[in-house]
Amino acid sequence: MLERRRGAIVVLALACVAVMVTAGASSARTSAKPSWCGPKKITLGLTDGFGGNSWRLVTTASARDEAAKCPSVKSLSYADGQGNTQKAISDIQGMVAKGINALVVFPDAGKAILPALTSSFKAGVVTVPYRVTPGGKAGVNYNVFIDTPFQNAGVAWGKWIKQILPKGGNVLFLSGPQGNSQGLEERVGLHKVLDPTHKYKFIGAQPFEVTNWDPALSQKVLSADIAKYPKIDVIVSDFGPSLVGALGEFKKSGRTIPALATSDGNVLGCYWQQNHAANPTFKLFTVSTQNDHARLAIDWAVALATGGKKPSTTPFPALTFENSVTGKPHPVECKANLPGDIYLSAELPATVQAKLVKK
Amino acid sequence: MAVERHTEGGSEPVSGVPRGSRTVVSRGLLTVVAATALLFALSEVVASSSLAHGTLLTMLPFAGALAIAGLGQTLVVMQGGIDLSIAGGLSLYVVIVTKYPAGVNGRLLPAIGIAIAAAVVAGLINGFLVGRMRLNPIVATLGTNALLFGAVLWYSAGIPTTTTARLAKVGSGVWFGIPIPVYIAALTTAVVTVVVKLTPAGRRFEGVGANATSAFTAGVKVRRYAGGAYVWAQLLYCLAAIVHASIVNQPTAYEGNNYLLPSVAAVVLGGTSLLGGRGYLVATAIAALFLSQLDQFVLALGVSYASRSLVEAGALAVGVAIYTIDWRAIVRRAFPRRATTLAPT
Repeated sequence: MLERRRGAIVVLALACVAVMVTAGASSARTSAKPSWCGPKKITLGLTDGFGGNSWRLVTTASARDEAAKCPSVKSLSYADGQGNTQKAISDIQGMVAKGINALVVFPDAGKAILPALTSSFKAGVVTVPYRVTPGGKAGVNYNVFIDTPFQNAGVAWGKWIKQILPKGGNVLFLSGPQGNSQGLEERVGLHKVLDPTHKYKFIGAQPFEVTNWDPALSQKVLSADIAKYPKIDVIVSDFGPSLVGALGEFKKSGRTIPALATSDGNVLGCYWQQNHAANPTFKLFTVSTQNDHARLAIDWAVALATGGKKPSTTPFPALTFENSVTGKPHPVECKANLPGDIYLSAELPATVQAKLVKK
Repeated sequence: MAVERHTEGGSEPVSGVPRGSRTVVSRGLLTVVAATALLFALSEVVASSSLAHGTLLTMLPFAGALAIAGLGQTLVVMQGGIDLSIAGGLSLYVVIVTKYPAGVNGRLLPAIGIAIAAAVVAGLINGFLVGRMRLNPIVATLGTNALLFGAVLWYSAGIPTTTTARLAKVGSGVWFGIPIPVYIAALTTAVVTVVVKLTPAGRRFEGVGANATSAFTAGVKVRRYAGGAYVWAQLLYCLAAIVHASIVNQPTAYEGNNYLLPSVAAVVLGGTSLLGGRGYLVATAIAALFLSQLDQFVLALGVSYASRSLVEAGALAVGVAIYTIDWRAIVRRAFPRRATTLAPT
């Protein structure tokens, strides 16, 4: 059985590589060389603090896909820190020792990674951290930090809530682990939009209900809140897919699912399509889960290393994706024949993502 | 020989089986039933939302899964061991029963078969290391745990998969107002209790845990029973994992972590001694209900996440304290005179 599975995995891995190569080749063939791709030949490195979930897989594949658009990038090496800060640091040092020209880093461990980034930068490697702030300064510790304003997601959710509930209502905000900076920043955005109206009441634990982005805990937390608050008008969550199992709690209590402002995922879109008819209050609004954030980081690293044109911005914007009420920018999307763990907001085609996550 | 003197002398057993405890209702069962009743009463008064119909329908299936996992842990603890590989094992079986079918109902049964096979292998590794090689159970099962998590990451790359519809139907199903996982847990508790308490093999199993030396002199294959506990434990974790996967729509690759401390806590609160010996299986199952309700109760109170963790750790500490500290001796020592002067009057 083990042999068969291993055999199957090898075949699928080859299939994945084949698909990615063809996808990369076709995009290179069809589109002209992007402006950020300069003439100088380089080797590129990409390190992740933790690569073990579907979001990371799609994000890494997006980065590879982006790098493949530039023929000056001769090779791309990838290393996964596997949630181990020491490994993440030695991955960076190893890449520098290998003599790569540019390095894109997802610094999960934050400031603990800064010394490794600084030594990489000082060794003359174009160093571009993204998404999680490593502290330090651009031009001193690294070339440029590609940020994303999580606050803007909160602002986008807040504006939508004002549209669908103009008379006000009770807002329940769920985020990941206690004190995570993403949740705290999103909350600032939410309050910025909703507080001046004095019509919206934030219910549940403050600053947010802790779910650890864990579906089992989300289920328990939500069922406790459903019993406690007879009126929940809108749920805000920064990881929609982990909430899908928990939404069934409303049915158990004989209530309809309220409006949901969150981030996208195929499983969530499909859940909405199956359940919105029976739950008229179940309106859905999503921001992109931002797999393409890695693309902007690659664009910057390649532009600086190859002598291409620098992209116009550093922060990656919070893009709205689905809106079940207006259908703009997109109606709710579901690819029922593909796995739930893919992100239709990503530039990487859904079928390519499906091959990645489905062994 | 020391062993012979011990048995000939007919002295009381060394550990685990307290004298005079051969009554039907154990002290552990009484304590945990009383504590659970008290908790439910407190929930009704202080945080009645934790007893709302919908909340109970959420809490009970989780309690069922924890009860089954707790039974497995009890078997190991009865042998004087402890199984830390429950985290890796349960995670692996959850991943197998969700990832292998990948949404296809027809592949669910083969997936369960593979998970059971994996459980037997994991149990045999633990059993061999602890039962035969006489390694310290903490060290051995910690090592196995790392191996099992390696297997989880190898197989799933840490990616969660949505539970198949057929399995989810079992988890969310309700018969006569009670969730199906509760029936599964009750049935499992009944079967394990009957096997341990009423069959010759079960009696030998408990005897080995209570006093391995006496069991050995009585001709019982001690190593086989001590090692076998780990295999049965993994099989029960496997069942708990299947139930857990049926409750959680899209379980992560690390679900077993949520069972490590609670499974040990359920065993301790149920009154089974960590030194081994008599196992209180029904009490463990009720302790699982207690812990799950405690979880919902604290959630319903709306206290901070930090306080939630503290309350759960506190419950464990109280449980350990009730059974392991000789309170009477402490009271006697603290008030020696009063105790003696009061007695005659």
